Amino acid sequence: MSWSKACRGTRISSYLENLHRTSQYPRTILCSRYYTHRACKSNEHYLRSKRVFWGSSSSWSLNSHSATAKSMLDSAHRQYSTHSPSETKSQKMLYYLTAVVFGMVGLTYAAVPLYRTFCQATGYGGTVQRKETVEEKIARHSESGTVTEREIVVQFNADVADGMQWKFTPTQREVRVKPGESALAFYTAENKSSAPITGVSTYNVTPMKAGVYFNKIQCFCFEEQRLLPGEQIDMPVFFYIDPEFETDPRMDGINNLILSYTFFKVSEENTTETVNNNNSVPVQETN
Amino acid sequence: MSTGGAFGGNRGLRPIPPEKGIFPLDHLHQCDTEKKGYLDCLKSTGHKSEQCRHLSKTYLECRMAKNLMAKQDMSELGFSGVTELDSIVEKER
Repeated sequence: MSWSKACRGTRISSYLENLHRTSQYPRTILCSRYYTHRACKSNEHYLRSKRVFWGSSSSWSLNSHSATAKSMLDSAHRQYSTHSPSETKSQKMLYYLTAVVFGMVGLTYAAVPLYRTFCQATGYGGTVQRKETVEEKIARHSESGTVTEREIVVQFNADVADGMQWKFTPTQREVRVKPGESALAFYTAENKSSAPITGVSTYNVTPMKAGVYFNKIQCFCFEEQRLLPGEQIDMPVFFYIDPEFETDPRMDGINNLILSYTFFKVSEENTTETVNNNNSVPVQETN
Repeated sequence: MSTGGAFGGNRGLRPIPPEKGIFPLDHLHQCDTEKKGYLDCLKSTGHKSEQCRHLSKTYLECRMAKNLMAKQDMSELGFSGVTELDSIVEKER
């Protein structure tokens, strides 16, 4: 039994050594013979060959177990002679993959300005192409002498946020304007409460796709406007519809634009400011 | 745009601030007469902006005079061909 175990051990170790080494030991020949003997299942031969084997490799048997361990380790690398190329190959792969990771991360950072320039160039997703100011546009069109014929009705809408005691209405219901003509419109706001209220407004233009051609030269939106109690004020809007509106096929059926303003209340957190303003007449107020 | 569904679509269209900024509010009602003139003109002409452009021009000139608007050449604002006479001629047509 012990013989068989020992022989098995030695068999495995010698087999492994046989794989990666051109064996110089005569016992390999014995091993092969041992295999054939094993295969023939001849007990006598088996024992005899084992004995011979055992005898010849007695000095070597002590080292067999350590050799086993070592050869097992070596087998993991498979071929001792080709150890470095595979390692460098995997190292190369590692460098390449790391570079890919860093490349991807860098690309995501670079994507922000790239995306912005792409949108500016193509106007994708409704981004307005700010290539020229309104004044430049006006100058360009007046020089080229573009004549516009379509009359567009611009209607006005005014809204106030809930709970805000302002009366906010458009002073005129509509304005008929041709593209390429700058036009003026007024909104009236009145503070109906007994305390000064500061509001901020925003606007939008419907239909949405026509909003691209609606240029506001000057208005009262996006900045805080303060009204004293009982004060009524007129707020002008100076706008301009791009003559390119006429040539755009998507705008074919559009003859009505609605400009809608909404006022939102700004919370009065600044007590010092209110104290100063309450004392003096609002001469200095040029918001 | 048909692809307007992306990037928030119509809802995501952000309003653009005005080119020349904000009109300072006319708290002292200094340009009220010009404003009234313009609005009356609009009412009488059926809200046609074309025929009242000269009055809007005077209103803006008033604002510039009273420091409620940055001074600028009127032609730059699209009033290149607008004079009092022009509008009168248009009315007569």
